[in-house]
Amino acid sequence: MHTVAKLVDTSTCIGCKACEVACQEWNDQDFTISGFDGSYQTLPDLEHNFWNLIKFNELSREDGQMTWNMAKYQCMHCVDPGCLRSCPAPGAIFQQKDGIVDFNHDLCIGCGYCITGCPFDVPRLSPNSKKVYKCSLCSDRTAVGLEPACIKACPTNCLTFGTREDLIQIANARAGELKQDGHAGAGIYNPEGVGGTHVLYVLKDAADPESYGLPKAPKIPWTVSLWQGPVKWLGNLVFTGGILGAFFHYLRYGPKPTGDEEGIDA
Amino acid sequence: MRARPVHRFSFAERAIHWLAALSFLYAALSGLALWSHHLYWLATVLGGGVATRWGHPWGGTVFAFLVGAMFLIWARQMRLDSDDRTWLRNAKKYAVHDEAGLPEAGRFNGGQKMLFWGQVVLTLLLLASGVILWFPEWMPRNFRLAAILIHPIVAAGSIGMIILHIYMGTAAVPGSFRAMIRGWVTPGWATSHHPKWYREISKN
Repeated sequence: MHTVAKLVDTSTCIGCKACEVACQEWNDQDFTISGFDGSYQTLPDLEHNFWNLIKFNELSREDGQMTWNMAKYQCMHCVDPGCLRSCPAPGAIFQQKDGIVDFNHDLCIGCGYCITGCPFDVPRLSPNSKKVYKCSLCSDRTAVGLEPACIKACPTNCLTFGTREDLIQIANARAGELKQDGHAGAGIYNPEGVGGTHVLYVLKDAADPESYGLPKAPKIPWTVSLWQGPVKWLGNLVFTGGILGAFFHYLRYGPKPTGDEEGIDA
Repeated sequence: MRARPVHRFSFAERAIHWLAALSFLYAALSGLALWSHHLYWLATVLGGGVATRWGHPWGGTVFAFLVGAMFLIWARQMRLDSDDRTWLRNAKKYAVHDEAGLPEAGRFNGGQKMLFWGQVVLTLLLLASGVILWFPEWMPRNFRLAAILIHPIVAAGSIGMIILHIYMGTAAVPGSFRAMIRGWVTPGWATSHHPKWYREISKN
């Protein structure tokens, strides 16, 4: 089965924020200004009710002018999702066969482990419902053959929806065009540390994703991997070993003498 | 001949011990529910996942307070002396009922004292890491990353110690369960398991 993906061509993003509005509308979010840090960016960061943010990364150009490295920020729908690995509630986070990583809020217990396990710092705990929210890649739209709301609203074709295989080809072709246009460092962002992502980027400067607000080498935190792997096996050994050890100790050695063996009736 | 009961644990000691035991049982079972997806049915039994996420930290906090209470009433008696150290070096002999040559135990033997101090230290670690996991939205990311690893490791150690403690307090040492439930032991039991203690209280 083909998996789906979103492609973000940052070189054609004009910062119109139509995708933000479409996301809020389709997902029926109550919009609240949570903060303002003096930039063109709608909010300083993602929120439990704001899943798709255009980051207006301000940089100074060589000629002294400023420029924006605009990048759409949302759940990356990792091939190997850290949120899913850390979630203790079965079914609360799931990965569809088409690659979408989605939350089932009826099963979410609000522990927030996914927030810690996510290498992109995307999921957010709602103070109202005490459950965690993030972009669903519009799984309720893609399931019926529609493209995600953000992509539907994009006026510049900066955003494309399709199969992941196709989009990787398109992204590479676009990066080739940018190289010909003089952006020698152009390339795609599809970080291998999380097995690749179902949100792909074309960057003019692929060697420096941090200038777009994207982590350079994201991977699942080692404390999460250690906890979910060796620690669990060692712990299981302690639990079963403890119970079996006690049982076989009793079989082999029996109880301590009570000190009352000489016919004392106590 | 009918033995006169020897008073071993006061009502306050027993009450604190059993409140701690109940809160530990709840914290351990609700914690195990979140330990593995295969044990998540425990969360269902305990009222569902949301109730478990809500209740586990409270259960743990109550347990930590009761460990604090046990520290206040027992810490002085739990100091290890040289006899206890000799006892601990020969704990293997105690385990196989070959007690000849083992130093006599006071009110608590070396193993019981180690359980006490082990639980005090592990509970402090569980409390510190647990508070971080309780309120993730207020905690720096590095704290959360550390706590997500430390909390289950320490919890597994703590549960392992308590499995041993339950075995010792029930099947392995007959008479000790009654001591913690009703508060008394027989003179024979006291002489056999805690002779130094029995001599001390018999003097008065």
